[in-house]
Amino acid sequence: MSRADRPTRRTFAPYAFLAPFFLPFVLFTLLPVGYAFWQSLHKTARTGGTFGRTHSVFSGFEQYADVVREPFFADSVLRVGLFALVQIPVMLLFALVLALLLDSAVARLKRFFRLVYFVPYGIPGVVAALMWASLYDPRLSPITALLESAGIRADLLGPHLVLWSIGNVVTWTYTGYNMLILYSALQALPADIEEAARVDGASGWTTALRIKVPLIRPALVLTGVFSIIGTLQLFTEPQVFRSISTSVTSTYTPNLAAYSLTAGDDYGGAAALSVLLATVTFVLSFAFLRLTNRRQG
Amino acid sequence: MAGCGGGGGEDDGAAGTSCKPASGKVTLQYWSWVPGMDQAVRVWNTEHPDVQVKLRTTPAGNAGTYQNLSNALKAGKAPDLGQIEYDSLASFRLKGGLKDIESCPQVAQAQDKFVDWTWSQVDFGADGKDGVWAIPQDTGPMALYYRKDVFDKLHLEAPTTWAEYEADARVLKKAGKYITHFSQTDPNWFTGLLWQNKATMFERKGDAWKVTVDRPESRQVADYWQKLIDDKLVATDLQGFSPALYKAWNSGEVVTWISAAWGYSTIRDNAASTAGKWAVAPMPQWKEGDQRAGNWGGSTTAVLSGSEHPAEAAEFALWLNTDPKAMEILNRAGGLYPAAKAGLTLPALRKPVGFYGDQKIFDVFKQASGNVDTDFTWGPTMTDTYRFLSDGTSDVTAGKGTLGDVLKRTAADSTDSLRKQSLDVTR
Repeated sequence: MSRADRPTRRTFAPYAFLAPFFLPFVLFTLLPVGYAFWQSLHKTARTGGTFGRTHSVFSGFEQYADVVREPFFADSVLRVGLFALVQIPVMLLFALVLALLLDSAVARLKRFFRLVYFVPYGIPGVVAALMWASLYDPRLSPITALLESAGIRADLLGPHLVLWSIGNVVTWTYTGYNMLILYSALQALPADIEEAARVDGASGWTTALRIKVPLIRPALVLTGVFSIIGTLQLFTEPQVFRSISTSVTSTYTPNLAAYSLTAGDDYGGAAALSVLLATVTFVLSFAFLRLTNRRQG
Repeated sequence: MAGCGGGGGEDDGAAGTSCKPASGKVTLQYWSWVPGMDQAVRVWNTEHPDVQVKLRTTPAGNAGTYQNLSNALKAGKAPDLGQIEYDSLASFRLKGGLKDIESCPQVAQAQDKFVDWTWSQVDFGADGKDGVWAIPQDTGPMALYYRKDVFDKLHLEAPTTWAEYEADARVLKKAGKYITHFSQTDPNWFTGLLWQNKATMFERKGDAWKVTVDRPESRQVADYWQKLIDDKLVATDLQGFSPALYKAWNSGEVVTWISAAWGYSTIRDNAASTAGKWAVAPMPQWKEGDQRAGNWGGSTTAVLSGSEHPAEAAEFALWLNTDPKAMEILNRAGGLYPAAKAGLTLPALRKPVGFYGDQKIFDVFKQASGNVDTDFTWGPTMTDTYRFLSDGTSDVTAGKGTLGDVLKRTAADSTDSLRKQSLDVTR
């Protein structure tokens, strides 16, 4: 190898290593987002009457203004916001407790339970939603029959409860996944920390809450960000619930609304809504990261 | 403002298309969701070695196929033929997705073979009669399916008017039953009820559209059902075509369904334990002595704009919907009620049906088919209109607002949809 070769190699190598990530990222993320943005700035025009030719014309931010003015926009945003405020903390708390239990010295059959908790995540969202849907259905479900015999009439698919029925499905699906991230973080903690705590006379719970939890803070932040992103994009569960509950509309969540707009050929409006959703997701995730980092410092 | 060309596949396919048969072998792609369609296609393929049809079985139209077709059209990858319901034809034409097949061999002469109003659905009516945009496949003339055993036990007869229907609902309610369900997923069912009352939703005047969703005739229908909902005479927590509904049919909790001809197989296949107990009567009427029927659903076989072999595609579409063998298969396996006049005299459609207590139910639908208002015009943005109806109904069953409000809002929102598609809207 001659000396002259080296600089080229040195500059080429990192790009070669990055390429397997970067090319699909450009192809399947940046380009579609760019295309959606372009689409969101255009609307359909036609010449030659109703069934004449169509073409796109530049319309600036008109589609954005249209979408934001739709009554469904505020409704679906508020709904998802409320959902996030309740469902995310509940799910992460469950995940944390399960992870701490699994990590504790007294836990037996760790491998087995780790798998059991994780299984729901491996079940496709559609299947999970369908399964829960039949458990909620008042005429099919053993659960509602049982509740009824106890004197509780709960219309789990009715207008008041359906959001929380969906929340239950999401919690059931993703708790195990988040648990696994938190558990891995716990496993990575050096064993002597726990030993030192025990020597100092800390109980199991004190060790968990005062020492372990603060130490896996980065993992908690990570699951928090993932959950925010996931919740904003809530789609599969409400979409499936639409076929059994009379209380889920086509614009129940912003993502579902975007999908519904394309069904009516309003590609511009759907693109505008998607771009807005992407922006909000980005801003919220970023804000959450900043917030949690600042508190740490 | 600079105009830019948007995507491919937006050619309108209208102007002076000639339709000449190809020389040599041809393979056609076809998307459909009718059960048993593969059997019909197999018969065609054996009889026509030079024109082979490749079938792809897809989910029902609004359940996904239309979305996929729209995307495929945008990407220039649409099949030669697709199943499209009457209510979505105009919207597919609007996006330049259909080919005018009037000049294809045999097509212009085929008009007489089809029930009159079905043809007026594919040539787009008097005002804009300007081509043939699909071949009619089946129709959904509506009638009343009811549990004869339950009605007999309560000394009720099949209601002939809507007033009687309501009175029966009250008797049934006392017996712990619902006369029917009112669901949010079937806006096209509700549209069938509007259709019966001559409440068209759109009118076309040359190139301008008028939204007539909210009019006295539709208000009458909406107010009637609102009363049934308010008095809890109908089940509002059951979705159409859901396992819970089928259970309610089987258990006798819900005892009638105003539905289309094709609905006979829906009940037969999903409420098996009630075999022999159902009967079919004409739809209840708004005015004593009237004989009006609504229509729910029905499909066409359309040649899509990207097809390179429109002549062969049209030939197949004609065969599929007029050939006795094909129609027999589609009726038996797919539950379709043919749009071709000859289909109405199919032996299978003149026989008593065991599931319905050996009643010759298709006689009722044949009569209903002749009583469907032929002037009904679909708007070019029906997908949206259906969505507004459906979402509004969801609010109503949740206790927010009335069906009258839904009509008002649907009218306003549908007007918006037309504008978003840059169409002319008149008042």
